[in-house]
Amino acid sequence: MIYPKKYDVVVIGGGHAGCEAALISSRLGVNTLMLTIALDSIGAMSCNPAIGGLAKGHLVKEVDVFGGEMARNIDETGLQFKILNKSKGPAVWSSRAQADMTAYKLRMKYILEQQKNLDIKQETVDEIIAEDNKIIGVKTNIGNEYLCDSVVVTTGTFMKGKIFIGLNEYEAGRAWEPPSKKLSDSLRELGLRVGRLKTGTTPRLDARTIDFDSLKLQPGDDEPVPFSFKTTNFNRPNIPCYLAHTNEKTHKIILQNLDQSPLYSGMVESMGPRYCPSIEDKVVKFFEKKQHQIFLEPQDEHSTEIYADGLHTSLGYEVQLKFLRSMKGLEEVEIMRPGYAIEYDFVDPTQLKHTLETKKIKGLFLAGQINGTSGYEEAAAQGIIAGINAAFQMQKKKLFTVGRDEAYTGVLIDDLVTKGTKEPYRMFTSRAEYRLILREDNTQLRLAEKAFKAGLMNKEHYEMVMEQKAKIQEMVKKLKTTYIFPNDDTNKKLQALGTKIIKTKTDLAKMLRRTEINYENLIELNPNLEKLEPFIKQEVEIDLKYEGYLNLQKQQIEKFKKYEELKIPSDFDYNVVGGLSNEVRGKLMEIKPSSIGQAIRIPGVTPAAISIIVVHLKKSNDKRYKSTA
Amino acid sequence: MYDDDVIAAIATGYGASAIGIIRVSGRSAFEILKKIFTQQPPYKHRYLHYGHILNKDSSIIDEVLVSVFEQPHSYTGENSFEINCHGGILVLNKILQRLLESGARLAQPGEFTKRAFLNGKLDLSQAEAVEKIISSKTERALKIAQRQLRGRFSSKLDTIREKILFLMAENEVIIDHPDEDLSSISFEKKIETVRNIQSELKNILKASELGNTLFEGILLAIVGKPNVGKSSLLNILTGTERSIVTEIPGTTRDVVSESFVIDGIPFTILDTAGIRKTEDVVESIGVQKSVEAIHKADMVLAVFDATKKLEDEDLHIIEHIKNTNKKTLAVLNKTDTPSLICKSDIPFDNVINISCKTRDGLEKLEDSLSKLSLGEIEDSDIVSLNANQKESIKNAIDICEQLIKDIENNIDPSLIAVDLIGLTDYLDEIVGKITNEDMLDVMFKNFCIGK
Ligand SMILES: Nc1nc2c(ncn2[C@@H]2O[C@H](COP(=O)(O)OP(=O)(O)OP(=O)(O)O)[C@@H](O)[C@H]2O)c(=O)[nH]1
Ligand SMILES: [Mg+2]
Repeated sequence: MIYPKKYDVVVIGGGHAGCEAALISSRLGVNTLMLTIALDSIGAMSCNPAIGGLAKGHLVKEVDVFGGEMARNIDETGLQFKILNKSKGPAVWSSRAQADMTAYKLRMKYILEQQKNLDIKQETVDEIIAEDNKIIGVKTNIGNEYLCDSVVVTTGTFMKGKIFIGLNEYEAGRAWEPPSKKLSDSLRELGLRVGRLKTGTTPRLDARTIDFDSLKLQPGDDEPVPFSFKTTNFNRPNIPCYLAHTNEKTHKIILQNLDQSPLYSGMVESMGPRYCPSIEDKVVKFFEKKQHQIFLEPQDEHSTEIYADGLHTSLGYEVQLKFLRSMKGLEEVEIMRPGYAIEYDFVDPTQLKHTLETKKIKGLFLAGQINGTSGYEEAAAQGIIAGINAAFQMQKKKLFTVGRDEAYTGVLIDDLVTKGTKEPYRMFTSRAEYRLILREDNTQLRLAEKAFKAGLMNKEHYEMVMEQKAKIQEMVKKLKTTYIFPNDDTNKKLQALGTKIIKTKTDLAKMLRRTEINYENLIELNPNLEKLEPFIKQEVEIDLKYEGYLNLQKQQIEKFKKYEELKIPSDFDYNVVGGLSNEVRGKLMEIKPSSIGQAIRIPGVTPAAISIIVVHLKKSNDKRYKSTA
Repeated sequence: MYDDDVIAAIATGYGASAIGIIRVSGRSAFEILKKIFTQQPPYKHRYLHYGHILNKDSSIIDEVLVSVFEQPHSYTGENSFEINCHGGILVLNKILQRLLESGARLAQPGEFTKRAFLNGKLDLSQAEAVEKIISSKTERALKIAQRQLRGRFSSKLDTIREKILFLMAENEVIIDHPDEDLSSISFEKKIETVRNIQSELKNILKASELGNTLFEGILLAIVGKPNVGKSSLLNILTGTERSIVTEIPGTTRDVVSESFVIDGIPFTILDTAGIRKTEDVVESIGVQKSVEAIHKADMVLAVFDATKKLEDEDLHIIEHIKNTNKKTLAVLNKTDTPSLICKSDIPFDNVINISCKTRDGLEKLEDSLSKLSLGEIEDSDIVSLNANQKESIKNAIDICEQLIKDIENNIDPSLIAVDLIGLTDYLDEIVGKITNEDMLDVMFKNFCIGK
């Protein structure tokens, strides 16, 4: 039947991208429907039971500032929290938490169910209906047709998903859930290029059969810090992980059984990620390494299932069991669910705009693993951007895009739509050119204004952030204009602090730049200095200690922006531009960069080509040239 | 590309022009001028300003006239100026170098025209031509640059690239994969790698000096006893009447310099006073100068008079040249008149008969000059760096120094990364662009990471 209620936005899929997309679009006030293959799997963690990590923690916090749920959800359901890289500079501090994955998904489902403007239904979408390259609606497996203006597709690994365990293969979207067999054909018919990727997961073990006493304990931080800037009353347990190691015996077993691996027997030909190699890859490619780390992580506070991180494998069950039992502490281990490799359809993301709408079909948005990424956090970040834009388009508001200079979310999306990907794309801090500026600690400070202006943050919260910002600036200024003098008293204090004495009048900012000096020490030197709350103190320290580097990056950003602001109209005709090589022309026509800045980042586009386009743009913008040309 | 950097380029071609012009354009062009010019602002639009271009240490590079054009009333529509100096590729290059040091960058081919166009200074037909200029010139320049860069140094450049990539990958592993138990990368090893990169860069800089022959030209000293026809020779080589020619021996007393091009190699020729024992004070200073000229020169053109027997003075010159071990081409002049000596009387390997009067032998002379200057060197053996590239390598060498210090001080890896990215930015043109994707490739190949 054609369903009588017409929706503004239909979200296909209930994973991490789908949840954020559906929540934000309904929160922004448009009628939203989520269609998912399995209601029970909303917010499910198909792979490791953890949120955050390097560069991913950044994404989670950005999603939080944009009005998303991931940070809040892990804050309510995490089993341990840790700040990674705390011994290194603040730019690379990253939050990570182990999740109770059952609690995580239940809470997420609960939040969705409480949400106004949002309906949730368990149906499989077989077809996306479009006319004249514009979305009309979707058709499901039980014959329902839902009319809508926009569709956000967030199907994860489900499209034509195929699982491999040893030489056995079967169709599945995730472990034991049915795949979406028809949707990618529908996308193909709409004219989108679809490719195939591979990823994998690890065996789940029975905690009762592991000798934890012989393994190294890995607890979270004693003083855990929540992800969300909105979390108050934060009180979560600190349940440890354990560290195990493979050994030469393990490696030998794996090497002897490579013929049992679909990855090595040629059954799986698609490209897997380089950074998340299967254990068979690790053993083959790093033959000289005598051991690899295995992290045993709790999956659920109330279950004995243990996730064996570091052991992605597609080897057969028998081999998995054998190599597991070769490890110390796992001699008697029982597998509860085996590891597997999964192959699935994805859509080449260079067919998307920065809004995550496809260039071809108006109203069709894609987010998450369908765009070739990996990771819950990458999915959530795309989900929220796609959801915001599906809603904004409906409301005829200016669409929402994020720059590389503003957030990791911007880096992620720009990389995808500009360069595409050959393997499941994972975020790294090195991908961000302006890493020193895009930090976790300042996520709110740098994004509040953007979020508030777009209506994604309420006024009260915004004003609170602005107050913090003003306070930080005030303190930085103050320290630059407050001096200490080279008298006995001061120099004695300096010696006591283990730092060099001063010989001339010195401002406190300069003192703070010394590695061994912190803000508290400044108070000792100048008791008139006010006490600061920890966050303000930390930001003041970072601003001053890294000032030179931060200014350098700010300058680079100015230069970067200039190119971003040189827009290329979407109907710009590269065919009339002389002097471009066919290869470069082809790339430009395919990607249709929205600015000169983006064009520069397309691999293979030369500076000479950019010059030529700039000249042409000028010509077509300038009336003098237009009238005669 | 489009930016408002200050760009600079030599506007006059190599060759025999008496005056050289360097053109500079960009919003903050005058700030750069201020740094290197004895005359300080305000500069008057469309006026010629007289003064000297100075080195960093305030020593004088050249006496110049600078014409100033304020935006938008200049060719490019931007603030711009032109430095008119005393020709000669050496001086031009020095001034250009000085501009680059002070914040300008070398203009891309066609860039002045492009800017003129972008600022609405050209009419449509001129505008149509801009694209062609950019594509053809850039392509050619690029090809030449690449061919020259990737000669014998190809593998060295690749090693430098690999080393930088490895350092980056190591650094990023430490940042992005704190959980991994990587056999820690030793501190000394890192510093050693940076030092290696640094010394390779220094080698390339050195090697480029040979390549510079092509760009900066060869300094050629003409020597010979008085009245053998040195000035005449200079005049026919350069096609000018710069040197005074008389029948009176000892006419040339100063060193006169002039440029000309053979086979694309720019030569700067120094005409000198004839060498002989002399009591005349002015002339003896000239002689002293010509002795200096031989020392300064890359090559020597020794001139002998075919109408006279070899004299003490000739032998004196021969001995002098032989002592310096410089590449020498001997010329037996005035062969239009009956000769008293022949080629075999001159004790040099390369001797050519010539007549400045009839220009017989001129072609042969030019040919020999070209061959002798480059010797047996293959084209592919020459690293030719333009002024910008040299500046970049020098900057890269400096960053290496900083990097070593930062590694020694154990500063934060996210800051080390800034040094490393600075290094790759400078070496972009030289070793090829290093992208994050390249770094990730090296990282995943060399480090077993990822859970
Ligand atoms: N017949 C003949 N006369 C020549 C030739 N080359 C130069 N002369 C004459 O030789 C005289 C000296 O020429 P210059 O070129 O002034 O000689 P120079 O070596 O520069 O002399 P100083 O500067 O005095 O050391 C002039 O009268 C020329 O005309 C030649 O090839 N043939
Ligand atoms: Mg003379």
